[in-house]
Amino acid sequence: MFAVLKQSLRALSANKARTTLTTLGIVIGIATVILVLSAGAGFRSLIDAQVAAFGSNTLFIETRVPATTKQRAASGDNAYNQGALGVVINTLKDRDLQEIKKIPNVVNDYAMVTGQAVASYRDNQKNALFYGSTAERFEIDKHTLKAGRFYTAAEDVGAAQVAVLGSSLAKNLFNQDDPLGKLIRYGTLNFQVIGVYKPQGDITGVANDAVYIPMNTAQHKMLGIDHFSFVIVQVADIKRADETANQIKLLLRSNHDILSPEKDDFIVQTQAEALATFNTIFGGITILLIAIAAISLIVGGVGIMNIMYVVVTERTAEIGLKKAIGATNKDILREFLTEAVLVTVLGGILGIMLGALLGYVVSIIATAAGLEWAFVVPFNAIALAVAVSATIGIGFGVLPARSAARLDPIEALRYE
Amino acid sequence: MSLIRVENLAKEYVNGEVVTPVLRGVSFTVEPGEFVAIMGPSGSGKSTLMHILSFLDRPSTGRYEFEGLDTSEFSDEYLAGLRNERVGFVFQSFNLLARTSVLDNVKLPLLYSRVKKSETLAKEALAAVGLSHRLDYFTNQISGGEKQRVAIARALVNNPAVLFADEPTGNLDSKSGNTVMQILQNLNDQGRTIILVTHEQETARHARRILRVKDGAILADERVLDRVLAFSDKELVK
Repeated sequence: MFAVLKQSLRALSANKARTTLTTLGIVIGIATVILVLSAGAGFRSLIDAQVAAFGSNTLFIETRVPATTKQRAASGDNAYNQGALGVVINTLKDRDLQEIKKIPNVVNDYAMVTGQAVASYRDNQKNALFYGSTAERFEIDKHTLKAGRFYTAAEDVGAAQVAVLGSSLAKNLFNQDDPLGKLIRYGTLNFQVIGVYKPQGDITGVANDAVYIPMNTAQHKMLGIDHFSFVIVQVADIKRADETANQIKLLLRSNHDILSPEKDDFIVQTQAEALATFNTIFGGITILLIAIAAISLIVGGVGIMNIMYVVVTERTAEIGLKKAIGATNKDILREFLTEAVLVTVLGGILGIMLGALLGYVVSIIATAAGLEWAFVVPFNAIALAVAVSATIGIGFGVLPARSAARLDPIEALRYE
Repeated sequence: MSLIRVENLAKEYVNGEVVTPVLRGVSFTVEPGEFVAIMGPSGSGKSTLMHILSFLDRPSTGRYEFEGLDTSEFSDEYLAGLRNERVGFVFQSFNLLARTSVLDNVKLPLLYSRVKKSETLAKEALAAVGLSHRLDYFTNQISGGEKQRVAIARALVNNPAVLFADEPTGNLDSKSGNTVMQILQNLNDQGRTIILVTHEQETARHARRILRVKDGAILADERVLDRVLAFSDKELVK
């Protein structure tokens, strides 16, 4: 077997340029597969980090404009067109928050409102989003601080003008200075900076640029409202999340005097649901990309078959000689198959390296963009790539190899 | 027991409706240790005869016994094994592997017989043709005469019962040709059976016996009385 391998290697190295070009199709195909799987794993790590940060055992309650028949016909059932329509749902209130907390499976919950204002410190200015939330946020949200502390429930009740800054915003406003204890101008008010977040992975990219302030401060001093936009609920047993979500729906419908589910002015979403939606879309995209890579692999395989036929013709005299000195059809078949598999596996290995390199570049770019993106080349992706390339070698090499094995030795010996 | 015994051997090629007879009932025997030249003009059927004798082809009718066994019952795979272990080939155009060392060329038949000590055997065979100093040369780096001697070493490496030489001097100048013929004569003197195929009377006279073939039949089967002995060149051949 070793001698056969040595022969094949010699044959391949005799025509390096051709061997390289032949493998190119396989290299590109395998590199694409590896890149897709590697970037996919990276993206998944990002999503996992997000889920872990919010706590995987959470439910989201979001306000939503109930669609009238007319709206549904015009724009579909869209929860996000409330701003455009000028309709604000103001029914989600503190009473809801307190009563949700009493549902058996619920451990904790907090409410959130958002808005936007200009933040400035000395000469530095930045337009920044704010998240106003109750102090329980910090018991549920697992993102930790780089420096300082969170605000307390007492500060929330007192509508204190204190703020925790996202990491990028802190850098933009303070450069090298220590932000802790400093006063910033935010909107028309002064806030004391009491904490700075660590950089956090976030697909929306806004979390690191945001200002985090107490709920009452946001509601009464910034927005002038007394309702919430979101409520985030932490549950004890995620397996019972659907049941809990139903209990919340019933509670909110009774509190908001809603008679039919169609008129709901809120939606309750579980992390599991969000994750399932994500997985469906993500799986579809992965399959699509791998299908495209498969086309490249098939084209590469046909290229290999083509070259192998040329090689058989070129080496007709050699095949004749080998048969004359005792090579059986099986021996010749094995030699040519070995050569074809060697080409494809070589292409596969180059493809794995190229794909991994590209995946690494993607991870660097993603990390530079502030995402918690892990560089991973899944082991089963490598195993898959090697297996696929060897299979292509056998699959597309078998016809030329068979035509070589079946050559008539007398004819082949005469061939010049 | 004769090494080779053919009886009424015939071969015809069928191409559609046209039947071309190439051999029309050939009979003879070859004993171990003989040096036979099969001689005839091109198209006489001498090559076809050699192909059948060396298991590259099968006869249409007639009987071919090799070492006392009827070859018609042998499978293709068994015939490949016979070609590998019982016969050796030397061709007019050498048929060495390009981009391959002299040593690896000689080891090639042992690859197919899966012999373990191929290195030693190949070196011995190359020593027998006086090429121990060329082991690591590539086949495109040596002369035509040396190439044919590599081919002879390759034919001998499995210690075959019979060596087939098909126009072995056809592509060589007279000096190299002489050396090759001398090696063949030496091998025969040491007891190796040799069957030489040629169209030249001069080359055939190096053998001890000539089978004259014409139009697919044996015209004459004669002892060589005025045998040519290739001149001795101690520099090239031990």
